[in-house]
Amino acid sequence: MKRFFAITLSTLILCLSFSAPAFSSTQNGIHNSVEDSKGTFSLDYTPKRIVVLELSFVDALAAVGVSPVGIADDKDPERILKEIRDEIEDWTSVGTRSQPSLETIASLKPDLIIADISRHEGVYADLQKIAPTLILPSRRATYEENLHATAIIGKAIGKDKEMQARLKLHAQRMADFAKQLPEGKEVQFGVARDDALFLHTADSYAGGVIRALGLKNANTGRSDDAYRQTSLEQFLAVNPDYFIVGHYVTPSIIDKWKNEPLWSVLKAAKNKHIYSVNPNTWSRCRGIISAETMGQDLIRVFSANQ
Amino acid sequence: MATRSLPILLLILLGLLVANLMFGAVSLPFKHIIEGFQVGNANYFTIHEYRFPRTILAMLVGAMMALAGALVQGVIRNPLASPDVLGVSHGAGLAAVFYMTFFPSADISWLPAVALIGSLIAALMLWWLCGQHSSTIKLAITGVALAALYASCIDFLMLVKPLEINNALLWLTGSLWGRGWNQLAMLLPWLLLIPCALWLAKPLNLIYLGDDSAISLGVKASTLRLVSLAIAVGLTASCVAICGPIGFLGLVAPHLTRKLVGGRHQLLLPSTMLVGAILLLLADLAARTIDPPIELPAGIMTAIIGAPYFLWLLFRTK
Repeated sequence: MKRFFAITLSTLILCLSFSAPAFSSTQNGIHNSVEDSKGTFSLDYTPKRIVVLELSFVDALAAVGVSPVGIADDKDPERILKEIRDEIEDWTSVGTRSQPSLETIASLKPDLIIADISRHEGVYADLQKIAPTLILPSRRATYEENLHATAIIGKAIGKDKEMQARLKLHAQRMADFAKQLPEGKEVQFGVARDDALFLHTADSYAGGVIRALGLKNANTGRSDDAYRQTSLEQFLAVNPDYFIVGHYVTPSIIDKWKNEPLWSVLKAAKNKHIYSVNPNTWSRCRGIISAETMGQDLIRVFSANQ
Repeated sequence: MATRSLPILLLILLGLLVANLMFGAVSLPFKHIIEGFQVGNANYFTIHEYRFPRTILAMLVGAMMALAGALVQGVIRNPLASPDVLGVSHGAGLAAVFYMTFFPSADISWLPAVALIGSLIAALMLWWLCGQHSSTIKLAITGVALAALYASCIDFLMLVKPLEINNALLWLTGSLWGRGWNQLAMLLPWLLLIPCALWLAKPLNLIYLGDDSAISLGVKASTLRLVSLAIAVGLTASCVAICGPIGFLGLVAPHLTRKLVGGRHQLLLPSTMLVGAILLLLADLAARTIDPPIELPAGIMTAIIGAPYFLWLLFRTK
């Protein structure tokens, strides 16, 4: 019992002895203040050792030529797009995106952490004890929200001008892609697992990119979710003109469905408008570089079609 | 045997406490651990802010869940009973999944409170259905039925709203990831239940002789049962609220302890707390060090360690 009492007491004291400010403000001229998901975030230095906990943030850093020292890459470097991997220097994996290892992050001695409000809100306080933490939407974010978050990252790391220029270039590229694509065609993206098909609706990142490229989202019915699990019959009800699928495994559920009579009734199947893409690019990465890759994918799809 | 076990268990516990501080994604020698408690040290975050509170939390949660298990097994007089039988952890799970599914943008720091309310409602539900004077077997079966009902509701929610499935699944497997001083502070008031539980040791021995004998020896059987179960519910609910339902701990730890020290509750209850703490410390250590920097949920580890061991135990006793 004595043991418990001692622990109780020491814990209480330790809890009370917390004092918060993770970083103080010195006047050396640099002062980057931005609004993140938790309020105002400011840095008075240019971060050199950045740890990012979602893939979209790697994309944002790579877009202005900054290499993070640590990435929550699920211990699989292939999760980072090849285009981005070639851009950045070697990094240390800090574990999964859902449960990144805080001690690995701490061991990297970062001076900025970029976290996802959807996944990492629960450890925001801990992350702040390691380093100033910029927390932004990633997982549930739409294309527009992602562009906004990318601009915020640019400002926070002291590369506002470069990032604005890059975003302008991105808008230009997307507009160029849109010109090469047939306007208003109905395109639906989905990821196929072994046992389920998830459609990425108009509210998802991929849905936003499709719209940004001047194409149209298929009507997936209820619109409260970014991703919708869909059976073959429900998929037939959606019946998109073009179907872009990312196979997380092969053979996926689509390969099973291909043998079903219902499959042949699909407009996309009848007109052979079904195309495979890299699911990682289309579903997980969510950033301006991956959006441009998606645009190129679609151009390939539609030019092969003519 | 019985008296020798206690110091050995204490020694193992101490060893594991140190091991939990030393090993992880980054292993540190013992000297650095001591230094890590000083503010400003390079390892201050890793040791003081991260591993130390998490280790203490694992010890307390393990001890409390095991104690809850021993209490439930004591009053239901069935070594296969566990707090899960009361539907408490599933009630907490349902509340947590409901909260995460329908309020995905709500503040995650409310989750422990929501889970706690869920488990307490589940306990009240069981009490309301069974009343104070029903037989233990009715209580157990009602609890199992309710637990199954909550489990199916959880499945339903997760299938209807697959977007939130990741967060919910992570919570439902039970994990110590990201738990620290704040969670430890939340758990503190519930530690008061531990002396209350230990105080029940003697009457629990008597109730093991059967209700009739216990009553004739001056034990108010139904009151004792209610109090013990209420304490078990409180212990389980507070732990589940913080770490999620960590499987098998409440079942295996008391069972294992009974093999080690026998059924006298004066010895069984403190020993089972040690065993529970040891099991969870071991599970969390394994979860952090098997494939760093990947963190596995400790709940998976307790099930992986617990289930085969439990089977072996059962087959050996036959």
